[in-house]
Amino acid sequence: MPQILPNFLSSVKLKYVKLGYQYLVNHILTFFLIPIMVGILVEILRLGPEEMLNIWRSLHFDLVQVLCSSFLIIFIATVYFMSKPRSIYLVEYACYKPPITCRVPFSTFMEHSRLILKENPKSVDFQMRILERSGLGEETCLPPAIHYIPPTPTMEAARGEAEQVIFSAIGSLMEKTKIKPKDIDILIVNCSLFSPTPSLSAMVVNKYKLRSNIKSYNLSGMGCSAGLISIDLARDLLQVHPNSYALVVSTEIITPNYYQGSERAMLLPNCLFRMGGAAILLSNKRRDRRRAKYRLVHVVRTHKGADDKAYKCVYEQEDPQGKVGINLSKDLMVIAGEALKSNITTIGPLVLPASEQLLFLFTLIGRKIFNPKWKPYIPDFKQAFEHFCIHAGGRAVIDELQKNLQLSAEHVEASRMTLHRFGNTSSSSLWYELGYIEAKGRMKKGDRIWQIAFGSGFKCNSAVWKCNRTVRTPTDGPWQDCIDRYPVHIPEIVKL
Amino acid sequence: MVSSMAEGLIYDIKLSSVGPGTVTEPDMVHEPSDMDLAMKLHYLKVIYYFGKQAFEGLTTLKIKEPLFMVLNYFPVICGRFRRAESGRPYIKCNDCGVRFIEAKCEKTMDEWLEMTKENASLEKYLTPNQIIGPELGFSPTVLLQFTKFKCGGMSMGLSWAHVLGDAFSAAEFLNLLGKVVAGEKPNRPINLAHLKTNSTNPESPLTNTEDPLSVKRVGPVGDIWIPVNNCKMEAFSFSVNATQLSHLQSKISNNGTDFSPFEALSAVIWQCIGKIRPESEPKVVTICKMMEQNRADGNNLLISVVKAAYPIVEANPSELAALMKNAAIDKIEKIENAIEKDNGVSDFIVYGGNLTFANLEEAKFYEIDYRGEKPIYVSYRVDGVGDEGAVLVLPGPPKNGGRTVMAILPENEATELKSELKKWFMD
Repeated sequence: MPQILPNFLSSVKLKYVKLGYQYLVNHILTFFLIPIMVGILVEILRLGPEEMLNIWRSLHFDLVQVLCSSFLIIFIATVYFMSKPRSIYLVEYACYKPPITCRVPFSTFMEHSRLILKENPKSVDFQMRILERSGLGEETCLPPAIHYIPPTPTMEAARGEAEQVIFSAIGSLMEKTKIKPKDIDILIVNCSLFSPTPSLSAMVVNKYKLRSNIKSYNLSGMGCSAGLISIDLARDLLQVHPNSYALVVSTEIITPNYYQGSERAMLLPNCLFRMGGAAILLSNKRRDRRRAKYRLVHVVRTHKGADDKAYKCVYEQEDPQGKVGINLSKDLMVIAGEALKSNITTIGPLVLPASEQLLFLFTLIGRKIFNPKWKPYIPDFKQAFEHFCIHAGGRAVIDELQKNLQLSAEHVEASRMTLHRFGNTSSSSLWYELGYIEAKGRMKKGDRIWQIAFGSGFKCNSAVWKCNRTVRTPTDGPWQDCIDRYPVHIPEIVKL
Repeated sequence: MVSSMAEGLIYDIKLSSVGPGTVTEPDMVHEPSDMDLAMKLHYLKVIYYFGKQAFEGLTTLKIKEPLFMVLNYFPVICGRFRRAESGRPYIKCNDCGVRFIEAKCEKTMDEWLEMTKENASLEKYLTPNQIIGPELGFSPTVLLQFTKFKCGGMSMGLSWAHVLGDAFSAAEFLNLLGKVVAGEKPNRPINLAHLKTNSTNPESPLTNTEDPLSVKRVGPVGDIWIPVNNCKMEAFSFSVNATQLSHLQSKISNNGTDFSPFEALSAVIWQCIGKIRPESEPKVVTICKMMEQNRADGNNLLISVVKAAYPIVEANPSELAALMKNAAIDKIEKIENAIEKDNGVSDFIVYGGNLTFANLEEAKFYEIDYRGEKPIYVSYRVDGVGDEGAVLVLPGPPKNGGRTVMAILPENEATELKSELKKWFMD
């Protein structure tokens, strides 16, 4: 008993000490300024108005000096406001909800696998084990061409899927924002593995009859983190072009990329990747300050491609039978961890409160000078953000990040539930997760959100948003009919 | 000869699966009754022939969509079989779905119907023929094949494992599909499955009674659910229109007792078969009828056995018809006892254990309408029939008002039977 009590007391004491320390350091300016202001006020009150006027007259200001000083001040202020980067607002976004005809329950997936991979029972067993532990649910969707035994991935089917996903998301977005196609100034579409000619962005321009002087871009091959790369590109473009709307479409087209061979390392994506897409409207117009949902604060991109192992860890190649698939190397989690560390090191100083940064600095100095055996201090990112959207790449990714960043189950709930309901939808999964948080009614004005995505290359990209106005629970969207069932408990291994 | 001829006939075959649109709760199971398990080696095959208008302009996705919706109400047929520890089969409702097959036929529908008049076996190309097994857990129990004909007509071929239900259940499923296509909501509760009960031993001690005559025990088939035949079975059908039917009924009727179309036709065919099987006369026949009211889910069969005390060849069809009319229905407990003896593990057949006559006159096959179109013709047969054969009396197309008879017999008997029957229907 006595042993437990000191521990408890010490932990309580430690908690309060920590809280006090944080409050002090984060508000240090206030702590310094308040005594000074009080001092000045007391002094003024003591001197009285006549004394103040006398001091003023003794300074001998004349008109020219006053005018020059005021012009200088106005000039500096103007330069400051002009060179400030424009605020980028996220007006609204819409996610694609696949129809029930695309639904793939576990049992159907396994039965089809058995029939397609008749000659490779070991590969079938491997797929079953992956599926059991994947964290996916029974409502994830695959495009119609993949439902066939064997799948029939024609170019026409791939275009059909692209049209269905992209037009549905954009249509939904336009309905929500009441924006006209002619108002869109910038269009960015990212889809990593399907890149037809004409491009998907040309397909959007054609369908919605966008303007002929539109700035359109199509990003392909950039992996699951391409969504944030598109946001970054849109941000840079919106700095250059004033008063514009940017439409960003993030998706991944499954049809042409379903691996038809039997190599185990390449069967993994088949088990995890599912249909999904999102359309996002960004704006730098002043009038959207009121109606926008979020404001973009930071985008931090980290590329580890210079390292050979990182470059090859997600690699598209042909298997010995000549079938093309994506090979995931065994070091994937290690490399992801390192990429995350790099990204955190860059984003930390931008978002962490002063208290955390100081602690980190002290432990760093301490480890270098005093004792290398000190544990490295992991900054508490929960103080910098209210919500976390971790790309739902797979259960292992979410587990790893939860452990590394010391997040609670509620923080990663959006990611886990998105993985369960929609599977790994690649670049659009971050938007489904954001939709989950909104659908649960947890998004309040002033909340800060951190979106992290990993992708081939190997890249780790982050975006930081700030909620501009409290978001009312949406009455439409992909979560509308199932949000009441969530959160669900996802067992370690699902019994098939 | 038939297979090589048919190879080019049906082409462009594509397989996929259709399951329920909404998720079934986990761990839902359906435990087939004893009657269901007695029928597990039989398969119902129904073919609906629709004219051009029914499916005009529909893409495959548009045909699949209502299926997804109607299957929400049938979680049992979307499940797959498993065996309990005792060996008794049950269905795990895991949303695996029904198999959906698309095919094309190079003939027009009229040409095809002409061809099948001569050779009903050809119809096996319009229905999927996959049986349950050897892997129970990965075998679909219901399969649908949509075959498009050169003229634009479409046939909808259903393969329905008899263990799920009788012809009335199969017809109900397809009729509900027609309703969902029309935009109506089915009047059926969604969850007819339940959570797995722990296997309880039956309370009443089973007396070692003899198996009833109606249900024949066959050698263990293991996980391949089809009976082993000693000879190849062939199906052939013929239609009897309303005038021929009433003519026949009046010929047979005796002292004012009227016989139903089923009794009249069955008696006549019984005698004809008796004539063509002189050494092994079918003295014992099984009669099968479906219950129409108070149906539970699954098989609701009323089975009776008729024994003729004298040689069939000499018998008067009126006497045979009278025997059938007065046949006592087997108590269901007798059949259940036979199956419960080893907890549903043994294998039985009903059709073909003895020469079987199935009364399907009231089956609601022609009630379906797909987008307002009624089927031109409905063909029905049973696969997995035992060596003694089976005769099914079905409703004829509503316009004719008569009956269609489908006989599944050893292949050498078909021609002989046809010539015998001609004698009855010539005049």
